[in-house]
Amino acid sequence: MFTSKKVFAGAVVAALISTVGIFPAEAAPKNQARAVAQPDWLEQNLDNPKVRIIEVSTEPGIYERGHIKNAVKFVWHTDLVDTVNRDIINAKNFSKLVQKAGISDDTTVVLYGDKNNWFAAWGAWIFNIYGQKDVRVLDGGRVKWEKDGRALTTAVPTFAAGNFAVSKGDKSLRATLINDVLPIAKKRVKADLIDIRSADEYNGKVFAPAGFQELAVRAGHIPGAINIPWGLNVNSDGTFKTVAELKKLYADKGVDGKQNIITYCRIGERSSLTWFVLSEILGYNVKNYDGSWTEYGNSVGVPIVNNAGTIWGAA
Amino acid sequence: MGSCIISTLHTQSSNSGFSGVAASAWTRAEKIRTAISFAVIAALLLTAFILSSNVSNSTAPISLLIGMSLGLLLERGRFCFFCIFRDGIEDKNTTPFISVLVAIATGSIGYALIFGQFLPDTSTDRLPPVAHIGPVSWVLAVAAFAFGIGMALSGACISGHLYRLGQGYLRAIPALIGTLIGFVFAFLTWNWLYLNAISNAPTIWLPHYVGYSGALLITLAALLGLAFFAIRKGVNSDPIRKAPAASLSLSATLKSLITDRWSPIATGAIVGVVGTIAYLRVEPLGVTRQLSTTARTFMDAQGIGSDTLVGLDRMAGCIAVVAETITNNGWLVIGLVGTSFAAAFAGGRFKFSKLTAKNSSTALIGGILLGWGSMTSLGCTIGVLLSGTQAFALSGWLFFAFVFLGSYVGIKLKFHTTG
Repeated sequence: MFTSKKVFAGAVVAALISTVGIFPAEAAPKNQARAVAQPDWLEQNLDNPKVRIIEVSTEPGIYERGHIKNAVKFVWHTDLVDTVNRDIINAKNFSKLVQKAGISDDTTVVLYGDKNNWFAAWGAWIFNIYGQKDVRVLDGGRVKWEKDGRALTTAVPTFAAGNFAVSKGDKSLRATLINDVLPIAKKRVKADLIDIRSADEYNGKVFAPAGFQELAVRAGHIPGAINIPWGLNVNSDGTFKTVAELKKLYADKGVDGKQNIITYCRIGERSSLTWFVLSEILGYNVKNYDGSWTEYGNSVGVPIVNNAGTIWGAA
Repeated sequence: MGSCIISTLHTQSSNSGFSGVAASAWTRAEKIRTAISFAVIAALLLTAFILSSNVSNSTAPISLLIGMSLGLLLERGRFCFFCIFRDGIEDKNTTPFISVLVAIATGSIGYALIFGQFLPDTSTDRLPPVAHIGPVSWVLAVAAFAFGIGMALSGACISGHLYRLGQGYLRAIPALIGTLIGFVFAFLTWNWLYLNAISNAPTIWLPHYVGYSGALLITLAALLGLAFFAIRKGVNSDPIRKAPAASLSLSATLKSLITDRWSPIATGAIVGVVGTIAYLRVEPLGVTRQLSTTARTFMDAQGIGSDTLVGLDRMAGCIAVVAETITNNGWLVIGLVGTSFAAAFAGGRFKFSKLTAKNSSTALIGGILLGWGSMTSLGCTIGVLLSGTQAFALSGWLFFAFVFLGSYVGIKLKFHTTG
């Protein structure tokens, strides 16, 4: 499945091969999926014009105080969402943003960020929706890169505009309440619904994780959802588990990729990490439900399961 | 005159500057004091070293080092906003005032350099990350004025109290307790003020209109104008610095570093550089975030007030978060007080001041005004006045104007003599 995408010249081809299959014996691969960019590989491709690095972090000033060389900053709150319509960024604005970053159709896009790559994974999901062919996420994200003592710079790069041609938007990657989630909740359609939040949120003991405001008036989960917290996808250093480990993790919970999958969390950003794992690493058919619990939990006339029985506002 | 230590240069023992004489002038007591001071500095540096092995907070050690630099500068250069204002207002000695202007000038050049890289395009609505650029409203003017009165009543601003604590200035203790109480009052009034004035106040950032070069030119021109005015109106009998020793010697160098007051111009310039480094590596200089965090955490634990402070967490400034641990700003304050003590002790300026019921209560009341004023303005003389003007924020200049006005009124009403 990878050969058709190996269209790059010289260094990129060599680099690709090294991440896809041929590994030096001493450097055992942590992950064999092409969509996961290894830091060593990225370090060798910082100046590769066919590779564009995008940082999507949410801590203010973190990019400015030092980022991976030649990385461009995308702001999740304003660049990757439509703040007025509560929607993903529209095709026109995304096209403008991406072209300005010097990205063309044949560019390998590597995303990374703070907070366990959550927002970088959202970026990868958006890139896939709008048809970019080669989108990867840096293994371990920003934290691992820093921990490894790899170089950062404050220089902000500028690139000649790329020729990225935006597609209409791949609807098969995005779930909506009416068309996808409700039919599953009401058992009219069969699919694997994965709630990636903490067990306490899933069971309705809390309305939101500690440190976050309550943005839904009900606690619990969507009927039929299984709870596989996002953190199970990664090792303690933030790198993705291997393909075999991930396959087993989900198979043990009954998710084997034979039927369609939908992932959700609170606002859809943590679940885009699980979307990335299932779709881009394991190759399953997965939609991310970005409305997530803040839409579903607040919607009128839709059923939930609340094991703890908490009622918002009641003593 | 006044309670500010080394308020004038001639109070110090006269040294002819001949190195041969000065060598023997370094007494045994001075040597012991200096050794103890070096031990304090070494302990702080060791703390920074230990902190640097903690990967979860990589900016804590640099915050401590920045605090240490600041403590040294404030103590050695007597960079105390209230003392500086009072010298000008009461004695018409405006020489110290120049150090504030120089600090803004060097800092704004540094900020312009960093901003140019952080945010190349100033035409959008975006602001450079975490810079202290605040909303400009009547609330800011009132809060700055209250802060100025608080300075006159308590004898210093918040950074002034922190470094003078290191000199043994005991009034700083009731003043800082008052500051914590003031923060609590500020949290109680914040939601109302925010909803009625701050939320729709404009956030005016000069580079958005005139670019970085324009903003820098305007800032430097304003500073030149102020300096011209200050020098013309002042009776500046103080020499800028003591005559240097005829030849370089160890004892003369030590004396000029440890005993003689640093030149206001050199002090101001280095304060500007430290501000630039702080913004580049951690966050804009400020000394109230840890204090207000302590107050907010206390309130949170006691269930006082509303647990939501509307809009606050979206703003840039010395803003309180609920935190159990020592924040970066906490390390900065520890470095500031510790190094100020070391510098004062080595130079023989450490002396416990007299604490009376009267001067403690005025310090407490002044402290409450300092706390309320700084929280409501999102920072103090360091966080808003220095870090704001250096960042080309109109909020910094408005704070400057009204904090000066508040001090002026406080001094004219003789509030400061109650201490």
